[in-house]
Amino acid sequence: MEAPDEQLMLAYRDGNAGAFETLYLRHRQRVFRFVLRGVKSRATAEELFQEIWMRVIEARERYTPQARFTTWLYTIAHHRMVDHWRRGGLSLVELDEQDPPGDSPDPARQLEAREALARFAQALEALPVAQREAFLLHEEAGLSIAEIAAATGSNAQAAKSRLRYAVAKLKAALEHD
Amino acid sequence: MTDERDPKVSQRYRELAREEPPRELDAGILAASRRAAETRLAPLVPPTGRRRWYFPVAAAAIITLAVAVTLHMERQQLDPEFSGLRSEPPEAKKEPAAAAPPQESPAKPTAPREFARERGGGSRNSQAAKRAAPPAMSQHSQAADAIQQGGSAGARREFGARADESSQPQAVAREAPSGAPARLLGQVAKAQSPEAALERIAELRRQGKHDEADKALAEFRRRYPDYRIAAEMLKKIERP
Repeated sequence: MEAPDEQLMLAYRDGNAGAFETLYLRHRQRVFRFVLRGVKSRATAEELFQEIWMRVIEARERYTPQARFTTWLYTIAHHRMVDHWRRGGLSLVELDEQDPPGDSPDPARQLEAREALARFAQALEALPVAQREAFLLHEEAGLSIAEIAAATGSNAQAAKSRLRYAVAKLKAALEHD
Repeated sequence: MTDERDPKVSQRYRELAREEPPRELDAGILAASRRAAETRLAPLVPPTGRRRWYFPVAAAAIITLAVAVTLHMERQQLDPEFSGLRSEPPEAKKEPAAAAPPQESPAKPTAPREFARERGGGSRNSQAAKRAAPPAMSQHSQAADAIQQGGSAGARREFGARADESSQPQAVAREAPSGAPARLLGQVAKAQSPEAALERIAELRRQGKHDEADKALAEFRRRYPDYRIAAEMLKKIERP
């Protein structure tokens, strides 16, 4: 059975470097995608990603498991993202070069799938910042409404409303396919 | 937990590329985490377990050392003073048998006196000690000077012995007040209360030892400058 995140973070706080490695490998992809889809360039995403984890390392002495580790982690990520948006505003993530999923060897269907995914990506990109963040926190990080509210410094009602709007817009974009 | 997911939206989102951070970034972050773990910060909470005794034990050791050093310094300051008072001038050495009171020699060899004997405290040491003595300690020396000017050699030795026993005031009470005037003068110098000192000065007046009484009165006024002497007592202690 895997050790819970909170236990690993406490072990790292007490000097166990291996606990942090486990924790990092467990969350690195989700955190990176959350950041990548909120900023313009991959380089900026990498920079923010590194800053987020450095903040985690620096804040280890203050960590107390009052909530899920994930909530604490994405609160730090949210603050870094807000700083970034304040500096330069939000831009789209370039998804054009990414390969679409699917095993179909048919070039026509591949092209259709690629276009559908591009439209979805555009719809995600077109979401207001708060709605997109709520969607990513829910879908990518697996946070609940209450945890999204805690991570973004808002109330549960606002978090739920943002998420509903985001899902509704993305669903509408899919229905146009 | 309220799940606001839409299956189709979630599925399409999962079809987006699964980006990962570069390996170099992983290596850098993990290296930083290991460095931070090796250099732990100071604890923000008080120490527990065995370590919680360190501070009280260290504080107790410091206090004990400070008290011991203070006592040792006080004792070192007292020794030359007493050895100086005990030192006998050359003329006193000529008549040791007549001058020494019988109860003094074996009676109470206090530790400072023994220490002074071992150090061979002579008149030269006595003079040096008088010069080095602080004002509070020099009160005994002033009384001793008064004796040297007007008292006998035996009385000088007596005063020296009495001054040596300054830590034992009850010894004064054992002395007969009708003895030598110098003894009374020594008792004045050693008197624990102003009233007792005045009584002894009055006793000197009654015995007609006005010079000694004057010196004792002067000594009294030095020791108790703010003491208000009653009119009745003033008649007894002032020169008629």
